[in-house]
Amino acid sequence: MKKHRNFWFFLGALLLMILAVPTVTSQAASGTFKVGMEAGYPPFNWTQNDASNGAVKIQGSSTYANGYDVQMAKKIAMALNKKLVVVKTEWDGLQPALTSGKLDAIIAGMSPTAQRRKAIDFTDTYYRSKLVIVVRKDSKYAKATSLKDFKNAKLTAQLNTYHYTALGQIQGVIKEPAMKDFSAMRVALESGTIDGYISEKPEGISVTSANPNVKMIQFKGTNGFKTNPEDTDLAIGLRKNDPARVKINAELAKISQAERDKLMANAVNEQPQTSGNSENWFLAILKQYGNMLLRGTGVTLLISMVGTIVGFIIGLLVAIIRTIPTAGSRFRRILLKVIDWLLSVYIEVFRGTPMIVQAAVLYYGAAQAFGWNMDRLVAALLIVSINTGAYLSEIMRGGIISVDDGQFEAAHALGMTHLQTMIKIILPQAVRNSLPAVTNEFVINIKDTSVLSIISVSELFFTGSTIAGQNFQFFHTYLVICLIYLILTFTITRILRLVERRLDGPQNYNIMANQDQVSTPTDHN
Amino acid sequence: MTNLLEVTHLEKNFGTHKVLKDINLHVEPGEVLSIIGSSGSGKSTLLRCINLLEQPTSGKIDFHGENVLANSFNVTDYRAKVGMVFQSFNLFNNLNVLQNCTIGQTTVLHRNAAEAKTIALEQLEKVGMAPYVDAKPAQLSGGQKQRVGIARAVSMSPEVLLFDEPTSALDPEMVDDVLDSMRALAHTGLTMILVTHEMAFARDISDHVVFMDQGVIAEEGTANQIFGTPQEERTKTFLKRYLNRV
Ligand SMILES: Nc1ncnc2c1ncn2[C@@H]1O[C@H](COP(=O)(O)OP(=O)(O)O)[C@@H](O)[C@H]1O
Ligand SMILES: [Mg+2]
Repeated sequence: MKKHRNFWFFLGALLLMILAVPTVTSQAASGTFKVGMEAGYPPFNWTQNDASNGAVKIQGSSTYANGYDVQMAKKIAMALNKKLVVVKTEWDGLQPALTSGKLDAIIAGMSPTAQRRKAIDFTDTYYRSKLVIVVRKDSKYAKATSLKDFKNAKLTAQLNTYHYTALGQIQGVIKEPAMKDFSAMRVALESGTIDGYISEKPEGISVTSANPNVKMIQFKGTNGFKTNPEDTDLAIGLRKNDPARVKINAELAKISQAERDKLMANAVNEQPQTSGNSENWFLAILKQYGNMLLRGTGVTLLISMVGTIVGFIIGLLVAIIRTIPTAGSRFRRILLKVIDWLLSVYIEVFRGTPMIVQAAVLYYGAAQAFGWNMDRLVAALLIVSINTGAYLSEIMRGGIISVDDGQFEAAHALGMTHLQTMIKIILPQAVRNSLPAVTNEFVINIKDTSVLSIISVSELFFTGSTIAGQNFQFFHTYLVICLIYLILTFTITRILRLVERRLDGPQNYNIMANQDQVSTPTDHN
Repeated sequence: MTNLLEVTHLEKNFGTHKVLKDINLHVEPGEVLSIIGSSGSGKSTLLRCINLLEQPTSGKIDFHGENVLANSFNVTDYRAKVGMVFQSFNLFNNLNVLQNCTIGQTTVLHRNAAEAKTIALEQLEKVGMAPYVDAKPAQLSGGQKQRVGIARAVSMSPEVLLFDEPTSALDPEMVDDVLDSMRALAHTGLTMILVTHEMAFARDISDHVVFMDQGVIAEEGTANQIFGTPQEERTKTFLKRYLNRV
């Protein structure tokens, strides 16, 4: 179905080649069957808040996954006699997670393309689908019956999928840039920036049932898209040469087409609906998702705060080391040069690459190359800390250098060592001078932790995507998320400005001239 | 009498620029030595070489007969005994007046906090700055800052105190307060080496005067010799320019 040219896989492969460490090929046999999916692609898979309709708890979260894929996964886990564990994973993270052993299978509406077959194996087909176009009900394309009717329509499809390539089959269409996911396309469609997007029937059914303003255009016979079975078939992704493949294929063979159709019909019926009542949308979101939002806010605050504090300490240490005077013995000078070079490499690498890439390389790379299975939150804290450290190193170094030379000289003239001078005189001034920059970094971190959704850390933005994927109220949900970010950044800025003022001490001082008289006891007559 | 400080054949180059050339100087315990000379003649560089803020290019500096340029020499101990008062004050901006005067005592001399405070208050009292113990340097006038600078240096109980144009950055009405503070220190056993353009003050207070010109000591003698009967032509020319101030 969705045919991503998997960037992260290549990155992982690159890392492997560099390190020349063999891939972790198989996981020790265990009692669990870890299945990866986005849990945000109804009716195949979605996230819900309770266990209704046979939903399965998502690993490391208090929410549940359900949908065609989940029901299929349950059958297979049962056939394998293992306990099903659903791991919510971003689309781009599925393949690296599988090859690195964090997953046992991908059941996520994935098509077995030749490209993917190079990296992983696939089972037989577990669902077959058809391409459709989703449009607004009130648009002139709502009555289209053939691809020819979409001349001059502004259409798009998901990035790196065969959907987008299929756009080429429509004569005279205006190809809009491909979009990251269906949420984005649904928002674009509703806001009118596009006239429609290419999708598949199940997604079309779910979006039309959730949103009364849109319509799915299906095509009969040769009026529609010509597709390749390799694209429309869905299969389960497995690690190369996984012995479980035979068993899974045997189980799939037992599930008839009628049973598959019934499963899909159920999934479409059970998928999350927008609440139809006319309650204030803002209160409705808060009431229904308040806890999730609170948790997401907490995770965002935790990551950005710990990241900023640890990053500040790293930055301070690096800056202290890099400002050690290069005097003294030859050995000492060379040692300092080497350390200085290493530190500047650290700074260049982390300032010169996007945090989203760093997170993916660390999280998936560590697992793939060393079999080092890191907790997502730990990986997030690590990345934000190291990244912040790189930025603050240069800021703190600037802070140290900008302290007047006279301060160093006066301290040295008193007989203080370099270390004493730094600790007692220079650093307090450098830290004070760099506080506005640290505040700024904190605010940036609050916003930038959103990129950690790449490793599925359930921070605020990820939570927002999850909620929007459930209630289809994209604009409203992201507006709430936006508001929370604003409140966070605004409050933090104010608090740290107060701290700065505290550090500066009182604006006035008391003249102590009459100290004696003040302390004289009053007469007792 | 043994020399407290003895400078022999001192040279200092900044790159190819020879700033100090064959400087020889004897400083006796308790004396007040003034170094005069026109701007750029190397006076500050000489002072900075003496307390090792600059590394001399060649030559020798002995303190109590011990070579301070030797690798084994304990520089921080030495600096604690040789205090310095700067033209631009250089008070620690992050500390208040009292802390400025105690920080060296506690970190370098390892005096306890109470003792350091007593000594600091005593010295601040002498320069008339005791009422301002809580003030931060940014809240003081130039003259007040420099008096704190003196109290800070004296609180370390140094043997030698170096002054590099301590009044040059001050408004004229503040100069006298600072000079008074310095006068109070002279001939109390503390050895003072001062670079100054206050010729009247130098003549009154100095036991020993050195006139520097273009990196060399051009003339040296008692205050009366240098100010009263200068021998060298360049000394006379220089002093003539300051005559109206004398
Ligand atoms: N750090 C330095 N680097 C290069 N040249 C310097 C440095 N410090 C002083 N000089 C030069 O040395 C000469 C003497 O300076 P200085 O000792 O400050 O003179 P004075 O205190 O008598 O005015 C001047 O020509 C000055 O430019
Ligand atoms: Mg000077």
